[in-house]
Formats: sequence, structure tokens, C-alpha cells
Amino acid sequence: MNRSFNKSQPLRHIDCNAVEVKSKYGAEFRRFSVDRVKPGRFEEFYKLLLHIHRIANMEMMIGYADVHGDLLPINNDDNFCKAVSTAHPLLRIFIQRQEEVDYSTFGTNTITRKKKAVVALRNSDISRRRPNIHIGLPHDFRPVSSIIDVDILPESHRRVRLYRHGSDKPLGFYIRDGTSMRVTPHGVEKVPGIFISRMVPGGLAESTGLLAINDEVLEVNGIEVSGKSLDQVTDMMIANSHNLIVTVKPVNQRNNVVRSSRISGSSGQSSDSSGSTGYPSLSMAAARETPSGAHGYHDDLESDEETDIVIESSLKRPSQRSSSSLASSASRTQQQLPPSHRSPQHHHHHHHVSLNQQLHKEPKHSQQHKPGQPQLHSSNPALRHSNGSLHKILNSLKTDPRHSFALPKGGVEEDGTVITL
Amino acid sequence: MMKFRFRRQSTDPQREKIKQELFAFKKTVEHGFPHQPSALAFDPKLQLMAIGTKSGAIKIYGAPGVEFTGLHKDATAVTQILFLPGRGCLLSVLDDNTIHRWELVAESTREVGGVKKEGVVSLREVDSYSLPGRPGIESSSATRATVLLLLKSCDLLCVGTEGGGVYVLELPRLSLKENQTLLQDHVTQSLPDDYRCGKSLGPVESLQEHPQQAGKILIGYSRGLVVLWDLSSRHADQLFLGKQQLESLVWERSGNLFVSSHNDGGYSVWAVTNGNIYNHQPVSSTIPYGPFPCKAITKILWRTTHSPVILYSGGMPRASYGDRHCLTIQQDKEHVTLDFTSRVIDFFTVHNMDNDKEFDDPSALVVLLEEELVVIDLLTPGWPSLPTPYLAPLHSSAITCSCHVTNVSTKLWERLINAGKAQQSRRHTHRKWPICGGKSLAPPPRQQELLLTGHEDGTVRFWDASGVALTPLYKLSTANVFHTDCDPIDDPHDPCDDPDMQQQEEEEEWPPFRKVGCFDPYSDDPRLGIQKISLCKYSNKLVVAGTAGQVIVLGLNDERSDHLVDVSVMDLLQDREGFTWKGHDRLEPRLKPAPFLPGFQPLVLLQCLPPASVTAVALHAEWNLVAFGTSHGFGLFDYHRRNAVLARCTLHPNDSLAMEGPLSRVKSLKKSLRQSFRRIRKSRVSGKKRAVITTTSKVQEANAALAEQEEVAPVQRRIEPRSADDSLSGVVRCFCFADTFLRDGTHHGPTLWAGTNSGSVYAYALEVPGVDSGRTCERGGASESSMCVEAVLGKEIQLMHRAPVVSICVLDGRGKPLPDPYEASQDLSIAPDMTNAHSVLIASEEQLKVFSLPKVSAKTKFKLTAHEGCRVRKVALVLFSSAVQEDYSEHTLVCLTNMGDMHLFNMPGLRPQVRFDCIRKEDISGIASCVFTKNGQGFYLISPSEYERFSLSAKVLIKPQCSVQLLRHLGHIKILDSSLQASTLVVMGDVNVASKSL
Repeated sequence: MNRSFNKSQPLRHIDCNAVEVKSKYGAEFRRFSVDRVKPGRFEEFYKLLLHIHRIANMEMMIGYADVHGDLLPINNDDNFCKAVSTAHPLLRIFIQRQEEVDYSTFGTNTITRKKKAVVALRNSDISRRRPNIHIGLPHDFRPVSSIIDVDILPESHRRVRLYRHGSDKPLGFYIRDGTSMRVTPHGVEKVPGIFISRMVPGGLAESTGLLAINDEVLEVNGIEVSGKSLDQVTDMMIANSHNLIVTVKPVNQRNNVVRSSRISGSSGQSSDSSGSTGYPSLSMAAARETPSGAHGYHDDLESDEETDIVIESSLKRPSQRSSSSLASSASRTQQQLPPSHRSPQHHHHHHHVSLNQQLHKEPKHSQQHKPGQPQLHSSNPALRHSNGSLHKILNSLKTDPRHSFALPKGGVEEDGTVITL
Repeated sequence: MMKFRFRRQSTDPQREKIKQELFAFKKTVEHGFPHQPSALAFDPKLQLMAIGTKSGAIKIYGAPGVEFTGLHKDATAVTQILFLPGRGCLLSVLDDNTIHRWELVAESTREVGGVKKEGVVSLREVDSYSLPGRPGIESSSATRATVLLLLKSCDLLCVGTEGGGVYVLELPRLSLKENQTLLQDHVTQSLPDDYRCGKSLGPVESLQEHPQQAGKILIGYSRGLVVLWDLSSRHADQLFLGKQQLESLVWERSGNLFVSSHNDGGYSVWAVTNGNIYNHQPVSSTIPYGPFPCKAITKILWRTTHSPVILYSGGMPRASYGDRHCLTIQQDKEHVTLDFTSRVIDFFTVHNMDNDKEFDDPSALVVLLEEELVVIDLLTPGWPSLPTPYLAPLHSSAITCSCHVTNVSTKLWERLINAGKAQQSRRHTHRKWPICGGKSLAPPPRQQELLLTGHEDGTVRFWDASGVALTPLYKLSTANVFHTDCDPIDDPHDPCDDPDMQQQEEEEEWPPFRKVGCFDPYSDDPRLGIQKISLCKYSNKLVVAGTAGQVIVLGLNDERSDHLVDVSVMDLLQDREGFTWKGHDRLEPRLKPAPFLPGFQPLVLLQCLPPASVTAVALHAEWNLVAFGTSHGFGLFDYHRRNAVLARCTLHPNDSLAMEGPLSRVKSLKKSLRQSFRRIRKSRVSGKKRAVITTTSKVQEANAALAEQEEVAPVQRRIEPRSADDSLSGVVRCFCFADTFLRDGTHHGPTLWAGTNSGSVYAYALEVPGVDSGRTCERGGASESSMCVEAVLGKEIQLMHRAPVVSICVLDGRGKPLPDPYEASQDLSIAPDMTNAHSVLIASEEQLKVFSLPKVSAKTKFKLTAHEGCRVRKVALVLFSSAVQEDYSEHTLVCLTNMGDMHLFNMPGLRPQVRFDCIRKEDISGIASCVFTKNGQGFYLISPSEYERFSLSAKVLIKPQCSVQLLRHLGHIKILDSSLQASTLVVMGDVNVASKSL
């Protein structure tokens, strides 16, 4: 749809929007181009690659060489987008069969900028000589934090988004009451305010480096905290904890984001400058959700983690059991799982056996039909990241011990909104 | 009070108008007994009684339905109240040495003949006077008021003080008459030397006006001296040189005698004979409960009939009964010691005030106790007590839960009244209520409303909540279903129900105690406590569930019955291993048939195992099903076939705390119980009333501010999402029975929904024999009864935000809540729309969400916590009727939050409508006790003994409207009875018009 690949055109076309792609599978090379601005979705790109290389019925692993010469995988929209946007001058793609992938080859300095890169893929000599920093597979990557809305906020303020996945890492900070100075029409006034009082060592908030003790909290997910009690603000933050956006006035004003300058080389056109840790970029998402005013990011409230899980039992099955056997098998299996058997693989297996459950998320589009409530129901760009969001759910499920079930890695097929196990 | 605070609210003027016609917030009336009463007064002319409280409230009661409330600016204890008889005017003395004048006044001047209904009249403070010398300043503590006397002429007020001085204030302006002041020195001068002996006379303990001779007052000093003082001549007529420390004085009607009561438990009768200035000895002196040391007689009344009646409080033998709260009535040989369960605050008699009559002829004794009001009929031999039509002691045993039923049928109502009558002990009389001032103008209630309160002692009390006065109808006790410690197996009779036995005991006893009143703070067994109540008003089935996991299904029976209650045990842990319950045992059911009085009689007892407190209950009488849940799981029981249908454990396998056993849980339950009681008891002191700002507290405040600046560990809150380890995650919070579409979009049928503390919702499809497509079919009775109800898990929903599920409600195709059981099948309400898709409203503490059915997908939601920072505590679907348009009404979702405010949302769009501040957010027990009616009213506890009734509806509100016939002077208050010009004022009482504004 929004991809422009045209083999008939000269490869080094001057069209600045086109990115030349050189893809290698085994010994074969293919060349084509994609649109730099609108690269499309990873899934389509993946199908395209398989088509071009005439690969059928095989799971492939896609990698690319980034500007630093590192071999990095492409397996979702985000890193695909990142790969396209940073390709310079061309995007070098390496395709491997899933079974043959040597994960140790991924990471920093895995590919030198010399032509030896190809060798490096197959040959682990280099890595043996110089131990690499191991980088996990990108589906284990996820955003941890980001600074957003830089272009619409006063420079003295910072809007920080914390992504919490499951409960593996606590948000880890404390807030307190305090007083802050405000400039009002009547002069400078002391007003009550909410401040960050403590960071939990090793907690998410601390690890981002974007929040600090004595930063004043101004807003929580777009709602001003002035006039609200400490307990109310606490509850608001907890209610939004899966995707917490706090606007703070940092106590240290020297590290402020300076507008219209490139902080990181990643994505200049984006309002999203990536945080210190985590995902290379959210540029695609950010580019799409170019904030349309102060409430632009409200859409993010409808993140996929929000959606409730519905487990359906087959009701068609005649229930012949006596009333003493009460609970249905579905719930039983869930109850009886001993805590020691909680690895995802086990669950995977288990659920394949007792399979009359359906897990589906609420269809998001159903929320888009209510007029007059733009704050809740504007269309959500994040929805289109179905693949990514699925992973998010998987992540949260896996890491969250409250879920007595988990989704198998391979056995998930996504059918719009319903995940069938 | 009313704020439209939601942002981004479309301001459609049309809609705003409709909203105003639908919603209006008002606190209408306080039900129950005032918390911590401290003063009592009676106006014999208007027949009105006033009660003052420690928090500075004044409440006036007359005939049932006649009520007025006033609140002093400062939340200081009211120490005394005085009526200006017949004038709708009263004086209150506060603990801070101020005197306040209150009047029942018509506010509106526009009230010109015709309809007076618009002229809202309230009790309001019109004047206040501060006696010189405030407490805290040492030198003038001498002028602290101890007693007040209002002369019959109503133009002078005598104030006795701690320093022994008597000051005279002029009414109505409360100005001090300097030249009338009587200081102690003045009196001491005229005393004989041997009596004087250099000591002070002590504070003034009593001031009493001579019953026949105006302007003469009796002054009693603490040390024992009594002076008959002539105000006009400023001269002591007579001196009575008592030697015992004085407590109180009372005149005999003729003025020839007065009686003094003393600190040693005795009383003396003194003759007032002319000529003799010094009286050394009383005519007689008695210590009724001697000879061993006795406690003081704090107040004594002497009323004349053919033979005098003596009534006095206290005087008990110190060693054996020093802790009793007693009041003695004596007449000739008759002697009764009324034994109360709480402290006697004050008492008065209703008697003949007519000067022409020879005797007082008291008809009733009214005793204000700390926890209840007791009225004794003095005309009926044996002095039985009169049931009170208001001031019901709601808290006779601590309230543990409540439930409201609207629109009760006359049939059920009558049966309840009859059951209640059968219960009343023989000691009650049905004489007319003696306090009958004013007239209630409130229209007769449109419908009968029941308020059910569950109590700690295992009783459920049924109250008539249709009108302003909350009156008891019927009391159900569940204790007799069980064996309890205090219940001897061989004596099936409740000792209280057997007056003969009691009488026997009494006869042998001295003092002749008689237990009076119903306040009983001690529960026999805390496990009996009622936690949840559900009543089906159509089938007269009642479900009551308690602290020890007991769920009792009861049916209404007009006859006494002896039967054995079926017991069924349900293990909610199922086959969960490694769990041992370390909490309290289950209650042992009675194995023999037990006698049950007419009323609700138990049919089945379900015992949950482990016997944890029941946290949710639902009854569907049409399907004969009862669902119940605890912190471990939930169960479904068919009480018709006596068959357990379902048991489901909700404990999380990872929940280590729960798996370990509930030791920690029991502790926390006990702790939380204890805390909540403490909270209830404490929080009310500060109640609606703010802390008194005295000089000392200001200093403290400043100190606190200083300390704050030094920054000692600031209050901070940790930002952590709810953790999975919460041991209470399995607590079942709510149920919902509904005939809806769970399997698919074409077949509907019975379903059961259950929600837990961890945000899980379980939906079961039920197979109920004979119920098909939502209608009960009468087919093949025999084969049907052999079939069992079955439950199959249909859906399991995990709310991702994991907040506790507060309420679940299924909405029909039009987005309206499904009708109650029987309503649809008996055509009592509009049949639900079964053609269009149903939806389910799931309200959690953080979010309100409507999901479509049968495929559970979110349709609309409102994230209250994320937006407002408050959490949902109570939720109700209410039908609001328009106050203007006759047949317009809207279903609205009412949410009470932890901030104490009410948020109203339309259904099913969940769009915010209005927000009202209702309860103080610190008042946790108030918020926890809130219960809504189906027509937009509600109740919450403002003290352990009082419900505040409020209305959210612009149409439906029950508030006092009353008239009082005042004998008020036109112009200046100039005395003489003959000059009294009777003017009739129609006084519309509006209880909650705060007199604070003055």
C-alpha cells in the first residue's frame, strides 16, 4: 500500500524518499527500495522478502547492519522502521533460516563496516576473539521510558512516559506534599504541590534517569494534579501505572531538552526523543501520533495493556457432570497448576491439551463510536501495532505471576482481535 | 455544594435543564439517636423535647415527624438547655461558658397569608452571650456557669457559677443585671459562725424557683447550704444549714417542702416554714440503698399525686452496684430500680403544670441515657416502658451492615408489623406518646420503605423508613439457629422473652432492679454478626449471612413454629491442598428443633468452609437460588431442592498468604474490626463538627507548623501498582443474577456473575429446571423437581487494572437494568428488552465499564481513578424521576467514592452528569455504611447511632415539614399569663438549614 518498490527503476534513484535495500539470503542478493518516510509494516516487508528470495514454508530471521556496523534483527514494526530510517546509504538485509540463526552474532561490533560482514555472520571467530556485549532478541526489547511532547511543553517542563510491563520491575518512586512557587497575576505565590520524594534503587523510575527527587509533579496522564490530595495523585498514578505519563518540573533545570535540536541521531522529525535506556526508537509510533494539541497523548491511555482478558469456556458442550464436580475443567486446570510449574512452556503445553478456551482482547474499534467523548474515543494509533501489542500482552502475561496461564510463543494466531489458543 | 466539575462537558442547555429536573442533592433528615447527648429539656406548654449533644447540636422533637435541628458554630458540648415555655424559644449553655438563644423562626417575610409552604422556617440561633471569664484564664474560672434557672416570668435568667456567685441576666437580650448579682460573701455574712468555719460554700449546685411565690429562688451550694433568696428584696428569707454535700434540689408543688439530694446517696426533705430563718435539720433524711456507702444521688424529682412519687438517679451501694446506671422510682411501697445499660444524662417527668390542680400527677418519666431514650408510663401500674416512635437506638447492638427495600407491598408490611407486635414484651404499654408537640405536615409516604440493619449480635432489625421518623417494625434474631455459650441447651426460651422468670428473679433481689432499654453493646458471640442481607419482597424470602461463614435462608411465617433447620455445608476451598484454617470455628448449629416466633423463620443454614466472614450474597427467589462468597471463594445453592450447585475457589494458587492459612487474615480481620469500631466511636466526636479552636489549640497548631518546617519525615506515598501478593485478592465482592445472553446472541438464560477483589469476573450459565427463555414454565412438576440446577462456567474476565470489582449489573437491549426477580414474570415492571443485544456493567474501584454480550467486549468506560484520583466505594443503579415532567425518568449510575463525593453517570453511555460532595473523606465508616435506595435517596452513618438520610433526586425527598403552635408575644416580652397573646405560627421545619450561617 504505502510501500514503493519498483525494480524497474534505477537503483540509485535520486528520490530522497526511497531507501535502497540490498538483501542477502545465502549467496543470493536482491536489490529493491522502500519508502523512507512510510516504510509500511514489518509483516508486509517480511512477506516481500520471502517473495523476492522465493522462500516458502520456512521461518526466517531478518537482520540488518546498522550504521555502526552491528547486526541487528528486524522482527517488528518498530525496529523495521528504525532500520529504514537510519539506513545510510543503503539498508543491508541478511536473511537466515530460523533454525540456523546464531544469536551470538547479533549485537555490537558483529559486523564491521568492511566487506567481511558476510563472513562475520557465519563465522564466529570474531566473536570468540572479542567477547561481545550480548544483546537479547528484540522481542525481549521493549520501551522503558521516553520523553514526549517536547515541542508543546515549556522547556522547563518534562513529560516522561514510563512503560511498565507486567510486574517484573516496580515503578519505584515515592511522592510527597510540598509547596512550590508559582508566578500568578498577583505575583509569586506559594502553592501546595506534589513532589517526588524518593526513588527505589533499581526501580523503573530510577533506571530511566528522567525523574529525580524533588521534581515537582504537574500532571498525571494529562490531568493536572493541583488541588488534588497526595492520596488522589497516588491513586491516579497507580491507575495509570501500565502506561504512566507524568509531567514534571525537574528540580535540575540544566538538563532540559532544547527544542528543535537533535538530541539523538535517531529521528529528527519526531517529537519523541528516546530515553536513556530501552528501545532504540518509537519513531514510527511517535510520527503517527504527532500530537494534535495538549491532549494528543490521551490516545495512549487506550494502550493495549488496558484491555481485559476474557476466557471463554465452551458452553455448547453438554454439562453432564454432577453438580459436585462443579467448576468447569477450564477453571480447574487453572487452579490446579502447582506454583512450581509455572514456566511458560509448561503452560503452553498444558493449554494445548485442555483446549476449550479462547482468549481474546476486547476489540478496540468498538470503542470508537461514541460521539462527544473525544478524550476517550479518538482513534488510537497504537492499535495498528497489532503485532507489537501482542507481544506486549505476552510479555505482561509471562512476567506476571497473577496470570495462571500464558500464551505459547508459536501457537498464537492473531485474528483481528481474538487470540485463539 | 454542587459542582459541575467534569471538564469537556458539553453544555447543552436543554440537557442541563433536564439534569436540574432530575438531580438535586440534599441532606434531609437524621435518623436514630443523637450521638453523645449531653443535655435534655422539655417545654410542657409546646410539648417539645430538646436534646443537646457534646458536638454542639440541638435537636428538638415533638410528635412523631416533628423535628428540628440546630448546630452551634463551635462544636462545644451543650451542658444545659432551657425552654422559654410556649414561645418556641430556648437557651443553651455550652461548655465554653457561652449562652445562646434559639428560636423557631419563619425566615420568609414574603409569607403573606395564603400558602405558607414556601416560608421555610428553622431553628436558628438569634443571640449569644458570653459569660465573663472564659475557661483557661484562671482568675475568672469562678464565673464558670454551673446551673441556670429561667424564672417562670421568662424575663430573667439566673446563672449559678463555680465561684458560688449567682448572676442575673435580662432576657431577651441576655444582658447582665449588675445590681442583681449575688456573690457568696453576701450569703456568708448571714451565716452562723459555727457553720461558716472559714470555708467557701462551694459552687452553686442548684437553683430552683419557688413554685408559688414568683421572685423567690432556692440556691443550693455544693457544701450543703441552701438559701431561699428573694430576688426583689435582695435578701435571704431562710437558710437551710445542710451538712452533706449537695447534688440537687427540687420543690414540692405547694412550696412548703423541698427535697435535697446528696453526695452520700441520701436525700433530705426540708420544711419551708415561715418565721424561722435558720433551719438546722431536715424533716427527714434517708439513704435508700444504705447502710453501706452509696454513690451520689445526682438528681431527684418529687412529684405529688395522692401520695408522692420520688424519682432519683444514682444512689447505688458503692461496692456492689457502683457501676450500675440506675434510676429509682418510689411511691408508697412500690419501688423499682430501673437498670440501664448506659449513663443517665438527665430526666424529666411529663406532669400537670396547671396551677389550679392540686397534684402534679406525673404521666410519664422521660430518661435520656447516653445511648437511648427511655420513657416510662407512670400511669399504668408496674410502670412499664413506652416504645419510642423516634430516636430509635439503631446501635443497640453495633450496626454491621444495612439494606434498603423500596415499595414494600401492604401485605408484607402488615405481616411484618404483626410479627413485630407479637415480639413486644408485656412490659410495653400502648399509651399515647407523651411528647406530642407540633404537627407533621409532611404528606403521607407515597410508598412503604424498609431499612434493614444487621447487627453484631446476630439480629436483623426492620425499620419503617418511609417517613421522617425511623421506627422499629420487627427484630429478627439468628442466634437461636445456633448453640451459643450463653444458651443453655435445656432451656429453649430466651430469658428475655420470659417475663415471669425475670420477675421471680427480681423479687429476690435488692435493689429491685429492672432491666430497661435495649441498648446492649455486648455481643454474646462476635461470630453471630450479620455481614450481608438480601430480601425478596415478592416471595418474602430473606437471606442473612454472617461473620462465621453462615448463610441463612429464611421465609416469612405468621405462626409460631418448632422445627429443625436443615444444614448444608459447602467447602469453598474445593480440593485445594495445603490449606488449614486457623481462624474462628464455625458456629455449631442447634441439633434439636427450636421454637421460632412468627416472622422470618430459618429454612436452611448453609455453612461455608472455611468459616470466613461472608463478603457477598445474592438471592434469586424465582430460581430458588442463593449465591454467597467469602475471602476464599463462592458457592451457589438451590434452597428449594436443598442442593449445592456450585462451589468455586477464588484463591490464587500463588497467593502464599492464603495458602499458608488465614492466620494473618484472621489477625487482620480482628484488627480491622477493632479499628473500624474505634474509628466509628472516635470519628464521631469530630463528626460533622470541626475541632474547637481555643487558644491552646492555636499554640499547638503553631508548634505543629514549626515542627513541619523542620521536616520530620514528610508524608509520602509509594507509587506501586497493586501487587499480586495481596492476600485478600480472592475476596468475592459482588454477585449478579441475570437472565441474559452468555452463550450466544440468540439464546438467553439464567446466569450468575461474581466479581472478586483482584478484578476477576466469573460468569456462569445456569440450567434451572423449569426456567426457559426467562419465563418460569409450569410443566411436569414431578420430573422437574428431580432435576438439578446446573452451573457451567461460561466466561472468565480479568480486568487488566485488577481493581476490586464493586458491582456487576446486566443491562437489557435498551440499556436498562434488568428487573428484579418476579418483577418481569408477574408483570410488575416493564419487561426487559430481550430482542436487542444485552450488555453488562462492571464497576471496579477504578473504572466503570460496559461490555457487550455475549461476546464480552468493551463498549464504553469511564476511568474514574485515572481522571479524578478517587476510587469507587459504592455503586447503585438508580431510577431518577423528573421533578417537572410527569413521566420522565432516567436510569443513572450513582458512585460514591473514597473522597466522599457522589458521581452520577448516565446509562449506558457512562457520561458524567453531576458531582456532589456528600460525606467528609475522613469519615471512612460513613462512606462504608452508605446504602442507596432505588429512587435516588440514601443513608449513611454519621455516628454509630445515627443515619443521615440524603436525597440525590430532585423529586423524591423525605424531609420534616411541621407546624408548631407558638404562644409568642407580639412586641416585647412582658409577662403575666393573661397578657399572653396566642399567635399561631405555621412553622415549616427544615432540618438541615444550618444555623451555622449566623
